[in-house]
Amino acid sequence: MNLVFALAAAMLFGVGAYLVLHRDLVRMVLGVVVISQAAVLTLIAASLDRGAAAIYPLPDGPISDPLSQAMALTAIVIGMAVTALLLVLVLRVAIAFQTRALRDIGQEEAALDEQLERAEGPAHEDEEASAR
Amino acid sequence: MTALLLALLIPWVAGVSILFVDGRRRRVRAIAVCALAATLAALLALTAEVLSNGPVVVTTGSWPVGIGITLRADAMGVTFALLSVAMLTAAVTHQLSEPATEREFPGLVVLLALGLNGTFLTGDVFNFYVFFELALAASYVLAIHGRTARVLGAGLVFTAVNLLGTFVFLLSVAGLYRVTGTLDMSRVAERMVLADPNAAILIAVGFFVAFSVKLGLFPFHFWLPTVYTSARPAVAAILSGSLANIGAYGLLRFGAGLLPRELELGAGILVIIGATSIVYGGILAVSRRTGAEMLAYSAIGQVGYVLIAIAVGGPAGIAAAILYTVVNAANKTMLFLTTERRGVIVGGLFALGALSISGVPPAAGFVGKLEVFRAVIDSPALVVVVLLGSLLSFVYAFQIYQFERWRPEGDANLAPSRWQQWIVPVMLGALVLGIGIWPGPLIALSDAAAGVLPGVLR
Repeated sequence: MNLVFALAAAMLFGVGAYLVLHRDLVRMVLGVVVISQAAVLTLIAASLDRGAAAIYPLPDGPISDPLSQAMALTAIVIGMAVTALLLVLVLRVAIAFQTRALRDIGQEEAALDEQLERAEGPAHEDEEASAR
Repeated sequence: MTALLLALLIPWVAGVSILFVDGRRRRVRAIAVCALAATLAALLALTAEVLSNGPVVVTTGSWPVGIGITLRADAMGVTFALLSVAMLTAAVTHQLSEPATEREFPGLVVLLALGLNGTFLTGDVFNFYVFFELALAASYVLAIHGRTARVLGAGLVFTAVNLLGTFVFLLSVAGLYRVTGTLDMSRVAERMVLADPNAAILIAVGFFVAFSVKLGLFPFHFWLPTVYTSARPAVAAILSGSLANIGAYGLLRFGAGLLPRELELGAGILVIIGATSIVYGGILAVSRRTGAEMLAYSAIGQVGYVLIAIAVGGPAGIAAAILYTVVNAANKTMLFLTTERRGVIVGGLFALGALSISGVPPAAGFVGKLEVFRAVIDSPALVVVVLLGSLLSFVYAFQIYQFERWRPEGDANLAPSRWQQWIVPVMLGALVLGIGIWPGPLIALSDAAAGVLPGVLR
């Protein structure tokens, strides 16, 4: 059982990593979501034991570990909240850059930086020349 | 105990309430400053209590000890909490003088204070993750403060990279729970001794990656320069002066505190990464032409010293790492708040910050460098790296001073400053100078903080 969970978590992480490296921003967000699920699965797998639910009065016999379930639940909630935040951010970026592809954003930023450099460049060259 | 709860309750209640009202109004921003000041007062009381009576432990929700989540304030936790909230307060007070554009800014900063306090004052590994994520969620929104296309692009990278970092952290938490069967930090530290070394190394690597991303160490630094340069000065000051402390704290708490054996094992690699960060950050900072860009790359170099000090370890190394984090946070906050402004006083403060970065007395940076120097003195190669780093810092800091403050064209790019804009940097400058002239209390505090880590006793 441990091996199955480990393989599943590894696969989820791999798929997530592949998606994060994608150019499309929505797929990047999906990649983050999938990686968060890999973490949740690992939390569940951190205590794989069968038993009754841990609710008072406790029954006789084995009890399943409530802590890892509580952790997984918390991680799911936090993951959902930050995913929503990330999606809003992608929306803002898509509106600001008029594109959803990471490559276009990179190109636009490079163009912006070049503009800045060009605006500042001559002044520095003058200065360096005068210093010589 | 009351002080510990107040340090979390004040920013929680205040932060959530302030988010509901319009943060662009002057009165609301003043209330945020008051809330942070009250948190700072609670932390000061807590520090006094911890330093005189030892760690303060509270089990939440009246659960029996061992079941409920514990909040634990020890000397290291309160040092970091005090530092971070002080820098947040400085940045928000400074922001009072700037025109307000975002309604959620003050509320988010107060919530960030809650996240930071919680991270530093918890005794539970999973609770650490929750507060860590809370602090980061606030910072994701703060990082896009200004909403220009450039800021949004940088903010997206910042958010995505740090989210991945937190999930790597969560994977390590799951591993830690699997290996030790507990989440309580003190019991994790006891049981890790018996753990399978292979599993422990994997867990340690996960924690290291998560916190290195936060600190911006060399191979994990790629998100940092764009974010720090495109953000407003106050936001950059918050990110580098307060939020980055989580990285150093995490490395100390999880590395030296919970996994000292693995830290010792990886010390060689950590030293190499730290040295690369120092040289890489220093060289790239030399090639920059504006204050904010220089500071962004300088931030990468400065955390390298912290990592080297942690890797060298021992009481001297850990204390030096804590001291250097404090000094570096004060430096960076002051310098980021003085970028984009001109004038004799602001220029003087920039020069003081430049002296501090390069470790020239009487600025605080000298004390920080001296402690790191004392920690690494046994290894000639590290002494050379530290000296080289200081030399590079000297070159880049004063080169920017020359480009921006001596040249008429450079000076014209900066905005004039009124008293509201230099009063907070002046206070930070007094702090930097004060630490440099009278380092005794800070050295004592960082020694006490280093004393709480079991890894120090080896």
